[in-house]
Amino acid sequence: MKKLLTPEELARDDRFERADMMDRIQDPRNGSEAANRGNGRLRPDRADAPDAARALMHGIFVGEIQALEGAGRTCYDFEVGATGKLDDEEVPFELKLDMARQCWDEARHCEISVKLSEWMGTEIGEFGENAFLFQAACNPDPVLRLTGVNRALEGLAIDVFNTMKEFGDLAGDPVLEFCEDWMLADEVTHVKMGSDWLRKLTVNDKDRQKRALEFQRVVDKLFSFGGFRGEDEESPVHLARRFRELAGFDDAEMEEIAELSREAKSEVEERSRLAREANETASA
Amino acid sequence: MADSKKPRAPFAPWDRRELPGAFSVEETAARVGQYKWIEMKLFEALGGWVATVPELDIKMRLGTHCYHHAWHADLWHKRLPELREMNPERLTGPASPEVEAFMDAVAEPGEHDQTIEKLVGVYRVLIPHKVAAYTYHLNNTSTITDAPTIRSLKFALQDEMEDWRDGTLMLTSLIQSDEEVQRAADHQAKLEKLLVAAGGICGPGTIGDAYDLSGDPARLTVA
Amino acid sequence: MPTTVDPSTFTMVDFDSAEIAALADELARKVGLGDDVQIVIEVDETTPLGRTELVSLDPVHIRTESGAFENPKRIRQFSEDAATDVLGRYLLRAADRRRDGFGDVPPDSELTVPQRTAWEVSAVGRLARLGYPVRRQRWLYAFRNRYGFTDTADDAFEQLWHGDDLSWAEIDRLSETTAATNPGPLQR
Ligand SMILES: [Fe+2]
Ligand SMILES: [Fe+2]
Repeated sequence: MKKLLTPEELARDDRFERADMMDRIQDPRNGSEAANRGNGRLRPDRADAPDAARALMHGIFVGEIQALEGAGRTCYDFEVGATGKLDDEEVPFELKLDMARQCWDEARHCEISVKLSEWMGTEIGEFGENAFLFQAACNPDPVLRLTGVNRALEGLAIDVFNTMKEFGDLAGDPVLEFCEDWMLADEVTHVKMGSDWLRKLTVNDKDRQKRALEFQRVVDKLFSFGGFRGEDEESPVHLARRFRELAGFDDAEMEEIAELSREAKSEVEERSRLAREANETASA
Repeated sequence: MADSKKPRAPFAPWDRRELPGAFSVEETAARVGQYKWIEMKLFEALGGWVATVPELDIKMRLGTHCYHHAWHADLWHKRLPELREMNPERLTGPASPEVEAFMDAVAEPGEHDQTIEKLVGVYRVLIPHKVAAYTYHLNNTSTITDAPTIRSLKFALQDEMEDWRDGTLMLTSLIQSDEEVQRAADHQAKLEKLLVAAGGICGPGTIGDAYDLSGDPARLTVA
Repeated sequence: MPTTVDPSTFTMVDFDSAEIAALADELARKVGLGDDVQIVIEVDETTPLGRTELVSLDPVHIRTESGAFENPKRIRQFSEDAATDVLGRYLLRAADRRRDGFGDVPPDSELTVPQRTAWEVSAVGRLARLGYPVRRQRWLYAFRNRYGFTDTADDAFEQLWHGDDLSWAEIDRLSETTAATNPGPLQR
């Protein structure tokens, strides 16, 4: 079996359809005022709340599949090296054990997501799958990969699960609240694994630590989805500060993610403005 | 109630454990290092395959099984220093190049349409051979001196049996035509031949020698 | 009839106005809007969102955003199932409002979200009986979100789903009595 897969190579059955990121970015409708009319925080009193929650749940489901695949690939892609004498492509045995444990956790999250989707009336593959979450799991440097996946992607999972847990709580949905609460516990563990390994593996290599944190910033910004996850009131998903703290994030790090999200948001707004101007010029 | 000071047999009538065993400390450490290596190669392959398997239920199950074997690898890893091997990496390896070739062949199928080959390698060949090797070890090691290894073998065997059952169910559901029956059989035969050449997953003597008429190996070791 | 679709040619999405018109014609016939009823479907193709409104009853004018008819798997592509779901519900709403005996209904803008959901459940149940592919669990989930995750809410859902000639007064009464039993947020 080959090492280092790309997102395009992930295996899916016929129910799933891959959504191309470029199609979304190049959608000519992006420039409209209406397209940028935010829906705000995901709350049950929103008119579109049940369907918005279903769509988000499907996104979580495919995200869990990709998280499972990413953890599995980290078990396979790297060789085990002797502690204290690791090459850049090697990992400690114990890191692989953590990744195998994460595989089991993510497999359970996939199972939970399937059951929750049934509960919410969503079909497997009902929505297109964007495979770009897996992109973070493609980094050939294990430290950068761990940082991108376990701190950025798994951190996003904490934020999203917290949002869904609150949603289930407010809606009075005991099944959703129960499932999200359990998944949150696992995700905090996964983020903590990322924080711990980053610290351990770069204790004598500050340059690598810098590169890893830079990679995390890139991934965190990407995963802010133009302000979808952020601290502004209209962001549907907010930073779950209490749970992130448990997982090893300090205040300054969380502030930085909030700032990245604001940047991502203003970049999207700027792109929309340009698209709108281009549309107006074209129709004039 | 009986007098608490009254002497009792240290091995009660129901406790028939015996002192002798077939393996010395060094032999046990060597086997345990080989087990660890096999469990590692297995969990790595299972983890790597998750992304290459389109069948959703199998994808999720492999993720679960991946952890079982990682946990076994950890049990063996932690047992090595207790067997006087302070550098666990030294003994973590295949019994021979032939065993390594076998494990490489198990992990080799990587295409999306090779789920049958992936599952055959693990659930029809490797896991049955692990059950055999672990059972042989369990039944031949000293029930008194090597109790920690026995405990780990029992935990591992329980997982192996359950995972074997899962794997058999998955394979049974996948194999639906004469051609698929043949594919599975061909791949199984290819791997079994490699194992015969290797003498077993721990090399010759993996499950003792059934043609040795000289008696109980445990008694021989201590005599 | 026939239905008019505006715009007649789409440039930002891959929709076919004739296909939309044919779908609306068939739905209108099946939901019992008379042959003489004029239908206008106005699609704002400049936005990927999916809000929809019933603008008028004569003609039956439905205004929607392109996301409402979009295939959730494929960006900018038309989905017959999505369009059937949205047009079916809004044409039934128009048919109900025009039906003798349905009773006085407040304007759409004055309906609460739970009231709208109850009416939609009644519409989707009827679409299911007309043979259209609908997902009952999706609507049960939406209904529970508005009325509570309780047996009482599920009973009300069943009545709405299976009712063929419910009046607005009956829908509203079910809505009101069920809403009163909603336990609200979880107490944890
Ligand atoms: Fe997860
Ligand atoms: Fe996770």
